[in-house]
Amino acid sequence: MNLRRLLIANRGEIALRIVRAAKAKGVETVLAVSAADRDSQAAIEADRTVVIGAAPARASYLNGDLLVHTALVTQCDAVHPGYGFLSERASFAEQCEKAGLTFVGPRAETIRLVGDKLAARALAKAAGVAMVSGSEKVDTVADALQIAEGIGYPVITKASAGGGGRGMVVANSAAELEAAFDNASHEAKEAFGDGTLYLERYVQRARHVEVQVVGDGNGNILHFGERDCSLQRRYQKMVEEAPAAILSDAVRSRLHQAAIDLLSPIKYRNAGTVEFLYDEADERFYFMEVNARIQVEHPVSEEICGIDLIQLQLDVASGEPLQLIQADIEPRGHAIEVRIIAENPLNGFMPSPGRITQWLEPQGEGVRVDTAMKTGVLVPPFYDSMIGKLIVRGGDRGEALTRLRAALDAFVIEGISTNLELLRAIVGHPDFVGNVIDTRWSERVLLPSYLSSKGK
Amino acid sequence: MNTVSSEDVQSLIQLFDTSDWGELHLQSADFELHLSKDGVARRGFGAVAAQTAPAPAEAKPATVISTISAPPIAATASAPVDIPEGMAVVRAPNLGTFYKSPKPGTPPYVEIGQHVEADTEICLIEVMKLFTPVTAGVAGIVRQALVNDAELVEFEQPLFVIEASSK
Repeated sequence: MNLRRLLIANRGEIALRIVRAAKAKGVETVLAVSAADRDSQAAIEADRTVVIGAAPARASYLNGDLLVHTALVTQCDAVHPGYGFLSERASFAEQCEKAGLTFVGPRAETIRLVGDKLAARALAKAAGVAMVSGSEKVDTVADALQIAEGIGYPVITKASAGGGGRGMVVANSAAELEAAFDNASHEAKEAFGDGTLYLERYVQRARHVEVQVVGDGNGNILHFGERDCSLQRRYQKMVEEAPAAILSDAVRSRLHQAAIDLLSPIKYRNAGTVEFLYDEADERFYFMEVNARIQVEHPVSEEICGIDLIQLQLDVASGEPLQLIQADIEPRGHAIEVRIIAENPLNGFMPSPGRITQWLEPQGEGVRVDTAMKTGVLVPPFYDSMIGKLIVRGGDRGEALTRLRAALDAFVIEGISTNLELLRAIVGHPDFVGNVIDTRWSERVLLPSYLSSKGK
Repeated sequence: MNTVSSEDVQSLIQLFDTSDWGELHLQSADFELHLSKDGVARRGFGAVAAQTAPAPAEAKPATVISTISAPPIAATASAPVDIPEGMAVVRAPNLGTFYKSPKPGTPPYVEIGQHVEADTEICLIEVMKLFTPVTAGVAGIVRQALVNDAELVEFEQPLFVIEASSK
């Protein structure tokens, strides 16, 4: 290992996860914390903890100057940003690079490239990967009809100047598009002062699938299978699985290849995720975006591949050649992760920071809990309200579900409100068990029935 | 009666964040919110009593003579700084490198035993070449300097002990 001492610029479970992964590789750890986190579990386990600023993130975890200064003064040679905070801020990666620190992430130019919607689309186009946003600006009905033929019906018109439903019309045929186009354009002009529309293929039942990759920075990209993260509320993932059981083997390998084709030309370095929208009806997938960081849900891929992705991040960041080849990575079994959130689903999902008076986590075969919580810990109100992740693995999806149900039943968290009960309702729901959900399922089916059963 | 939404809490946190308040406590029949900027738990919050974590003082890194290995990680000393009654402590307003003099080779801002006013500059804290002066904050006599020159100081780490003038 070329890295000797690592600054960890994050908090919560991911900071703890990185501390342990680094230690396992013989890398010393310096943890930068806010005043609210000086007694956190990661602070206890890190070789050294430095309080860099006040609790609010912009005074601490979002302050690049403080983090780089800390890394230099404590003689770290690398910085791990975790997820969120500064993990995908190109300027921070650049600041690290300029200070001579290894950024455990992509090169700054890569972050910039994949973070730019048009540039990322150009990448997908060059790689021959379909995109959900099917068109450039569309000026006339004639143009629209021609483009729609190429995309395939149904299509949806969208205003290029704004969202919120204005200018959005779903057309199932050329006739419907012809009839709707002028109205949609007029509506967009009324709302945004600009009637320019573009077209997207309309996916009625969309699932969110994504491919986990690790690139070595020299054009070699390995994939670690895919995940299905369709269970979301307001675009926030709640449950993630690996593999995506709905995919046929043929589609699955095309999906993996698409992710590799997209990132190989830019010599992507770091763990990363290529997100796709999947249309179950016609078994097609569409590129959405690249997440140039380790993601919250990375453990399900680790569980089915038997690999530590954080350690692999450290390897590629340090410039070591990948010791793995694709044939070494054989996803086995099925893993499911649920996010434990300090919130009250029965009160508008209001965050519920506070003191945890009891924390009893499930144990057993195939059960893993990634968390920095324990009894007596205070969940501060300043940060994201995710307090842990329960991950289960089984020989197949059925076994994983059985273990997940048992693990959720055994999980006890007292002192604050959590979404544990909602998660139990999800895991017991026939649609989830039968895997017939989509990205809007929780809002359309689950929550109305769950909340009404609670008298809300 | 009136329920508090997550948006309400977020707005409160944002307002609190941008205000100059140190603490906010809000309580209604079924709702209680406590915000604090010093990261110290309020007395009696939840079931566990308040804990005032002493700001860790920096331990001096051991000198290691070696050609390959880097200096070892300095352990963060957990021993609290002993502050006598009636003394004021000047703490680091932010993390950075502590400098006792305006420039290398020049006399320090203050000496032990020297009288200072509240607005007297007593040291510099540097973050990425940006030097920020720290003022005493209280009039009195400098009794102790707790940090060595060019050391890393953490947020809220005690720097000086000042015996405040009695008025």
